[in-house]
Amino acid sequence: MINHYLEKAWVQYFCLAAVTALLVYYFGWVFDFGYKFDWTVLYVKDASYGIVLGDMLITGLGNTITISLISSVIALGLGVLFGLGRLSQFKPINYFASCYVEFFRNTPLLIQLFFWYFALPMALPEELRYKLFDYNYEMISATVGLGVYTSAFMAEVIRAGIQSIPKGLLEAAYSSGLTPFQALSKIVLPLAFRAIIPPLGSEFLNNMKNSSLAMVVGVAELCWASQQIESLTFKGFEATTAATVVYLSLSLIIAGILNLVNLKLQIIPKKNRTIGHVLADVFFWPFIAPLALLSMLSRNCFRRRTEGFSLTSAQAARKVLLAKVVKVFSLAWKGTFLAFLLFLIVMAGVGLSRFNFQVIWDNIGTMIYWRFPQGGPNEVLWGLGGLSFSILMSVIAISVSFFIGLIVGVGRTSKNKLFFIPSTLYIELIRGNPLIMVIFWIYFFIPILTGAFLNVFWSATIALTVFTGAYLAEIVRSGIQNIPPGQLEAAVSTGLTYLQAMRKIILPQALKQMLPAIVGQFIAIFKDSSLAFVIGVLELTFVAQGLNNRLMIYPFEIYTTVAALYFICCYMMSIVARRLERKLSTDTFRLQM
Amino acid sequence: MKRLVTLALAASLVMAFAASAFAGATYDKVMKDKVVRTGIMTDSIPGAFYNEKKEWVGFDVDIAAAIAKKLGVKLDKVPVSNKTRIGFLQQGRIDMSVSNMTHKRSRDESIDFSITYFFDGQKMLAPKGKFSSLKDFVGKRVATMQGTTSELNVIAALKKLGDPAPKVISFQKESECFQALQMGRVDAWSTDSTILLGYAAQIPGKFELVGDFFSNEPYGIGLPQDDSKWRDAVNFAIQDMWVDGTYQKIYDKWYGPDTKYYFPMTEKIELWP
Repeated sequence: MINHYLEKAWVQYFCLAAVTALLVYYFGWVFDFGYKFDWTVLYVKDASYGIVLGDMLITGLGNTITISLISSVIALGLGVLFGLGRLSQFKPINYFASCYVEFFRNTPLLIQLFFWYFALPMALPEELRYKLFDYNYEMISATVGLGVYTSAFMAEVIRAGIQSIPKGLLEAAYSSGLTPFQALSKIVLPLAFRAIIPPLGSEFLNNMKNSSLAMVVGVAELCWASQQIESLTFKGFEATTAATVVYLSLSLIIAGILNLVNLKLQIIPKKNRTIGHVLADVFFWPFIAPLALLSMLSRNCFRRRTEGFSLTSAQAARKVLLAKVVKVFSLAWKGTFLAFLLFLIVMAGVGLSRFNFQVIWDNIGTMIYWRFPQGGPNEVLWGLGGLSFSILMSVIAISVSFFIGLIVGVGRTSKNKLFFIPSTLYIELIRGNPLIMVIFWIYFFIPILTGAFLNVFWSATIALTVFTGAYLAEIVRSGIQNIPPGQLEAAVSTGLTYLQAMRKIILPQALKQMLPAIVGQFIAIFKDSSLAFVIGVLELTFVAQGLNNRLMIYPFEIYTTVAALYFICCYMMSIVARRLERKLSTDTFRLQM
Repeated sequence: MKRLVTLALAASLVMAFAASAFAGATYDKVMKDKVVRTGIMTDSIPGAFYNEKKEWVGFDVDIAAAIAKKLGVKLDKVPVSNKTRIGFLQQGRIDMSVSNMTHKRSRDESIDFSITYFFDGQKMLAPKGKFSSLKDFVGKRVATMQGTTSELNVIAALKKLGDPAPKVISFQKESECFQALQMGRVDAWSTDSTILLGYAAQIPGKFELVGDFFSNEPYGIGLPQDDSKWRDAVNFAIQDMWVDGTYQKIYDKWYGPDTKYYFPMTEKIELWP
């Protein structure tokens, strides 16, 4: 009886509305927050500081947008370069590109930003350093650092997209006489483009959210501004809410643009076109029209075939000469590249040999387990900290969030609005915000709601869990949607209920496919645990900073060790992920250019 | 009209009752549990920091311990940062916060403060021999910490000296400011002079304090809002420490002439007969 009613859409909407109304009533009128809300701090001129504090948010937003845009361009350029580099047949380029991608993907952005800002200038000669400092170095290092970090991810997306092209196509292209460049530009890229664009788009979104970390090197962006208002007025709730709303709207705008791009890329018969397709056409007209014009012009200019099939001896000789010149040039270029690589290796070697290894040796224990087991009574787990703390946090977060992801992911695919709407809300709310914002929220909110006080370790772990849950839910959703719908229909027609069909038929298959993505998410969460340092969790980054603070003159030694520690852990996990992927996928051809 | 007045009176009575039920809650709780939960910083040298043996030491740690001893309760140290110290007090996570907090009127709206227990002032730390007075910093880059009063003070001070748009860069931590100063990204670092002393002492002879104090930074112990019984207890404890010489002993241990962080005491704390 109840089930019958629950299947009706109006009942579902009614239930949702009722629950929302109850919540609003409870938190609006009944619940005592023990906190005086004062939204005026955002738009009224503050008496003690003489400025409208909300203006800071607007300046911050401007900085966030600038950083995101410029770093996206850098990331795209480097990403294409290194993505193609990973497909190169020339081994040194291949190795170099692989090292670049693996290194930057497997260390936390936070550590990388510290490196660009605090360590790199010290390695430069003094004159160059001061010349660099004449510019806005905070902004430059944050933008470049972010661009380089995102480029490693984009390179992977581009590599995977190009490798998704069937081998036969490339063979056909080569055998019809196209050069590698022609095969790439005329056959592979146009096709790979469609496979690349959607994941590339989400990298742009991530890039925007990651720009919030620029605050650690003193850039006054949005997150910095909200923290500034918080510390000037102690109105953390209001400032964080304002920043969250701005981040959400930014994410929504980017997601909207990405949707338009997807619509634009769809190949669909004219009569099936929706209003969205028309909108996409209109939106992208300014970008596409000049390109179309250019290609038309070039087609008209270069249409003449310059070569016949029969060559005179002079033409043949010229052709041979040309081929030789090309060969010499390519050899010269390879030589230069090798020399450059050698130079890098020697430089790194010289840098390493100047390290004070005694300092690293003395403090490696501190970095791995802090002062376990001699901690004070107020510390969790007998004073554990450092690397093992980071690992512990991410293990707890991934285990708990797996179940959240499972439930919410299934809810997201459900037709019942009672499950669908809350799941979607949760996923989009969390994914539209940077992790650092989620950490601040959990940190402020849990004590107010529950009246219980959590150790910062737990509050950071909960934030990581809630954050990862949303991403895992999306993984679960796409895993479920990858299973052919006929399976569910067949299962339901044999008399299983929806939940039974999910549990016994769909999920076991979907989970197997999801495993590599889940391991990938685990790597991400492990790296992200470095963000917990903002609320003072004694994890690896925080411990490293504390050490650096005390030792003062060994920043290179400490940050290199920390980066190496993070890298080793992440890289081992990514090897596991790759093994899993290879085991579970059937098509294991490696496309080469 | 009369009815309105009665209503208002009744309301205010209820409020007063509620307030009085709340006031003194912290004091009673501390005395009952025999534990005072105290927020202390972890990376402020010599205020409170981890030394080589990974022990938590510093001026603030000793002050907190002395107050706990005066109250006859046990000290429970809770690590806080400049981001968390206020929130913890408001939520009741800690009973007091001994974490070099400058007493400001705007801050007093959210929490209460004890009497001033330490007198500091803001200065500039710069490479030795490069600058001679505060005026020389006009147009130069200065590092500060985000969310501190020193950030606002230095902007105001430079503006007053004729710098239309002071180039102040705000970092998250003291160590980051010092690193920026060391590598020459900024020409000076400005914050409370004792913190500057603590850092400058790590690399003797390279950096010096320049110019006069350009702001007063009276440190108060952060206390929960509207709890006068608890505030009295803490205030009396501080004054007793001053009278019986405990305060002087702790001060000399960290800021005395024989220490790395020598900082002459110029003022006396407020004493009530």
